[in-house]
Parts: sequence; C-alpha cells; structure tokens
Amino acid sequence: MLAHEEPPYRTVLKPYGRALVDLARGRDDIVCLSGDLTRQCEVDLFQEELPDRFVHAGMAEANMMGLAGALARSGHIPFVHTFGVFATRRSLDQVINAIAYPELPVRIVGFMPGISSPGGPSHQAIDDVSLMRSVPGMTVIDVADAVQTRQVVRAVVDLPGPVYMRLKRGEIPVIFPDDHQLSLEHAQLLTDGDDVALFASGMMLAAALAAERLLRGEGVSVSVVNVPVVKPLDTATVAAVAGRCRSVITAENHSVIGGLGSAVAETMAEAGVGHPLRRIGLQDTFAEGAMTVPYLFEKYGLSTQHVVDAAWTSLGQTGPPPRAAAAAETSDGYSPV
Amino acid sequence: MATAIRLRAVRMVAPQGFGYLGQALSSAEQFAALYSSVLRVGVDRIVVSPAHYVIAAYAAAAEMGVLDDEALATYGKDGSSLEAIGTERTPLLDYTCGSLGQGLSAAVGFALSDRLKGRPEPRTFAFVSDGELEEGQVWEAAMFAGHQRLSRVTVLLDANNSQVDGAVDTITTIEPIADKWRDFGWDATDIDGHDVDVIIEALGCGADATRPQVIVCRTSTVHGLDCLPPDADGHFIKLPPELADLALAELTEKLGRHAGA
Repeated sequence: MLAHEEPPYRTVLKPYGRALVDLARGRDDIVCLSGDLTRQCEVDLFQEELPDRFVHAGMAEANMMGLAGALARSGHIPFVHTFGVFATRRSLDQVINAIAYPELPVRIVGFMPGISSPGGPSHQAIDDVSLMRSVPGMTVIDVADAVQTRQVVRAVVDLPGPVYMRLKRGEIPVIFPDDHQLSLEHAQLLTDGDDVALFASGMMLAAALAAERLLRGEGVSVSVVNVPVVKPLDTATVAAVAGRCRSVITAENHSVIGGLGSAVAETMAEAGVGHPLRRIGLQDTFAEGAMTVPYLFEKYGLSTQHVVDAAWTSLGQTGPPPRAAAAAETSDGYSPV
Repeated sequence: MATAIRLRAVRMVAPQGFGYLGQALSSAEQFAALYSSVLRVGVDRIVVSPAHYVIAAYAAAAEMGVLDDEALATYGKDGSSLEAIGTERTPLLDYTCGSLGQGLSAAVGFALSDRLKGRPEPRTFAFVSDGELEEGQVWEAAMFAGHQRLSRVTVLLDANNSQVDGAVDTITTIEPIADKWRDFGWDATDIDGHDVDVIIEALGCGADATRPQVIVCRTSTVHGLDCLPPDADGHFIKLPPELADLALAELTEKLGRHAGA
C-alpha cells in the first residue's frame, strides 16, 4: 500500500507548468502549444522562460492539433494546451487523423476536467475521458494531486504514441508525500479492506479517501485504489481487488459512461467478477453553470456523501449511512474563462 | 441606454468581485442600438455567439423591461438560469454558445429556415467577437451565407482587440477584417462601435440589403468606465468592493447627466 497525507490537504499552484519547464530545459525536442488559454493552462511559465519553443496557436484548436501532428512527425514532442472540452470534443477528428492514427507522440493536455468548471456545459469536460479512451492507441491519464502532476510530465514524455492528460486548474491539493512514485503501469492500493473496492481517479480521490474513513468508523472496510491511468487500465489490479471485495464502487469527475466506471465494468465482466458495481459520476446528464464548484459536486452526485451512500447500499447495509461533512468552499473562486 | 447597460453590468458582477464586465463595456452601445432600434421581439432572432457576452444582453433586456430586476440579481449564482456563460437555459436569446465560434452557423441556419419556410420578414442578428474569427467555423458559415446570399443575416462584430491571451493582433493577424468578409460575399462596414447613432444607422441599412451584412464595431473592453485601472484584464475584470463603489458612483452620475440633458 502507498502512503498518503491526511486532510485538509495543502494546495499548490502551477505544479504542471513548473514541471514542464523543468523538463523542457533539458529536452530541446519539447515544444509548447497554447490555444488562447496560456495562463489558465499554467504554460505562461513556459512562454516566459522558453519563448523560442512556445507557440500561440490562438483560438483555433483544430488547426493546433494538425500543427502538433506535423511537429511530432518532424521529431518534436508537442505538449498541446487548452481546456479539456476544446481538446477533445472540438478537435476530435484532427486528434484522430493527424495524431492518433499515425501514432504520433503528441501530449494533449486538457485543463478543467468535469464539473471542476462552473462555466456550464460548454466548459465542462464530462466526456473527455470517454472520447479519448475510444481512440486507438491513446493513453488517458487523470492524476489526483500535485505530486502526481509533477511526476506525470516526465513519465509521459517518452511514452510511445499519443497521450491525453486531464488536469485540474488553480489550486492543486497535495495528497501524496514527496517521495511518492507515480506508476503508469500500476493502479495504487491506498487502503486495504475486504468489504468495498473503491476505484477513484483525479479529483475524486479525496472524496474516496474521506468516504473510506467514514465507512471504517462504521466497521466497513474499503480498499481505495487510485487509478491515474484510465487507459491502458491496470486490469490485473482492478480484477484482483474487485474480486476479493463484496461490492465495487467507481468514482470519477466525468460521465459514468465511457470513463473509469465503464473501464472497471468491462474488466470485471471479462474477468468473471460478479459483484455489485455502483458508478459515481455524472449520470448521463449535462451539468450547468453556477457560482461554486461544491454546489455542482453536490447537485450532480459527486460528493463524499454520494460515495458513502453508494458503498453503503451496495453492501445492503440497514440503518442510516455515516454522514460526511459538507464540502468546504474552495479558494479557487469562479474562473471558467 | 449604453450607460444603463454598463451600470447594470457593474451591479451584476460586483457581488462576486470579478466577471465578464469587459464584455459589457465593449458591447454596450451595440446592444443598446440593437434593442432600442431595429430588433422586433418575437419576429427577429438574436444570436450571441460568444456566450460570455450574455451579461450585456441581460442588462439590455432589463432596460427594455423584458427581464425583471429580481431575475437579474440572480446572475451567475448557484441554481440561476441566468448563467454567466450563456447556455440552452438562457432566456430571451435564440442561440448562444460558450464554445466559441459556433454562433454564426446558427444565425445562418435560422435565416436559411426562414427562406425555406418562405418567410421574408424576420431578420437574424448575430453578435460575434473578433477573437472568434480565429476559429475556422466562422469562415465556413460566412462562406455559406455569402454563397446563399442570406441577406437577412446581420452580424455585429465586436472588434475590441481582446482575447484571453492578450491583444488579438499579438496572437493572430485578423485584419483586414471588413475586406475578408467582403471577399466572402458580404456587405461590410467598419465603424466606431461606441457611437450608438452610427450603429443604428448601419443596422437600418441592412433591412433592404441583397447580401448578408457585417458591421465591424471598433471598441474597447474598458470603454465608458474611467475608474478602471489601465491594466484591467478585459476578458475577466476584477472589481473589488472599493472599485465597484467607484464604478457605481461614476455610472450613476453619468446616467443622471444623460437624464438631465
């Protein structure tokens, strides 16, 4: 099992942007493309420190993906930056034909995943994992904290083929200790329990760990597994942990269709693991614009309480489930851009 | 009315301390001209392609008495249908898109529908921003409308030279804007976007046009609010309480002068 910090988690700013610059200083092949969201995607640091390899592609995502494909064909390693919605929905055909089909090493970085944006359906990437997971050869990553964010840049740079990473914007929590080792091959077992297998990716890891503590207090033991790489999924770990528990929960800041929940369901079915599965995520619905993110997480079923309730009912527990504290207001504020 | 739109916009963003105020400052005269002169509610259609600008449409609608103050006060809040970035729930507009560059296609589609249904009367007004011209879809729509001579489409193009990463002309050269549209088969005029009378005149010219029209409105995201600091970020203006108070006082005083004049 891997160590993790206790909440409340401290937060840091721009772990991705810093890590990319640090790596690029020693790697002349890295180029940075931005689609009119430079500061929002933390690559203002790159623009300032390595301006010769920074490209303003402007508000033209389809063209940006086409450029990135040709840059990769020419020996560069392009890191392409925009919000997750525009990186995946808007330029899907270009991502597929210019990047994925020729198996080119373009690193597509989509910020503001799921309903971490209060900016409404046009800004909320609730289907980016699903879209990218269906693209042949695409690696799909949804890291959980600042430590993993810093490490993932170096981890993916020489990976064959294209990569899609979704990254939270603004204040990034620190859940793992500094000596944490991110693995792209192995999902990470964080707590060990036999009652519930709880697979979480990205921003939902904090809620999963909070739910585990509450359930443990009621005598329900939970295996929390962090799944930063949704594709290719660590099917061996998923099948093993799901197989030894009585029920299985997935938690993702994304639609329950096509993302982590679907990937786990497919794995369980193929492995013959016949335990009840509950998927936490957006239930085949668009969300909405709002002022605060906790409001959206509560309304669309992504709160700690929703995770607790799902685990509780999946075991057929009688009596009321333990109550989670209301989510604290983040200091991020409204900033969908 | 443009000053009243600015005042309402300041009131709408003041509780949060930041927001899409620059969009309202930039477009106040365009919305004032559209709502107070040519727009026939219930007949014409209005598309606001950059949905961050709905703040100005809401403020103009409130000035026209079609949106009440109570609803306006919920702007941007949890659970409100007056979202800060317009959506399918947005009232009073026929189409708006937070994913930029898609609105002109909708406007052209509405005009095409009117033609297919044999309805010559309605006009479709599309509000488009200059940054959106970087998106290829805008030009796909422009080429289609020019080819089809969809003369019932009028575009108000807010040329404020502002996008998230900075001045548009530092990111992409989009000039000469009017000539590009002319080459695509449109009538194009290039005017001072903060002069309501000139905008109204240009909108009037479109009524009997034989080709689609674009009115390139030269504007600034800090126009009409002198108290803003010179380095204000036009896409997402910060308005702390002291500055909000100054802005409210300045605009209230201006409105009083207009009323007294």
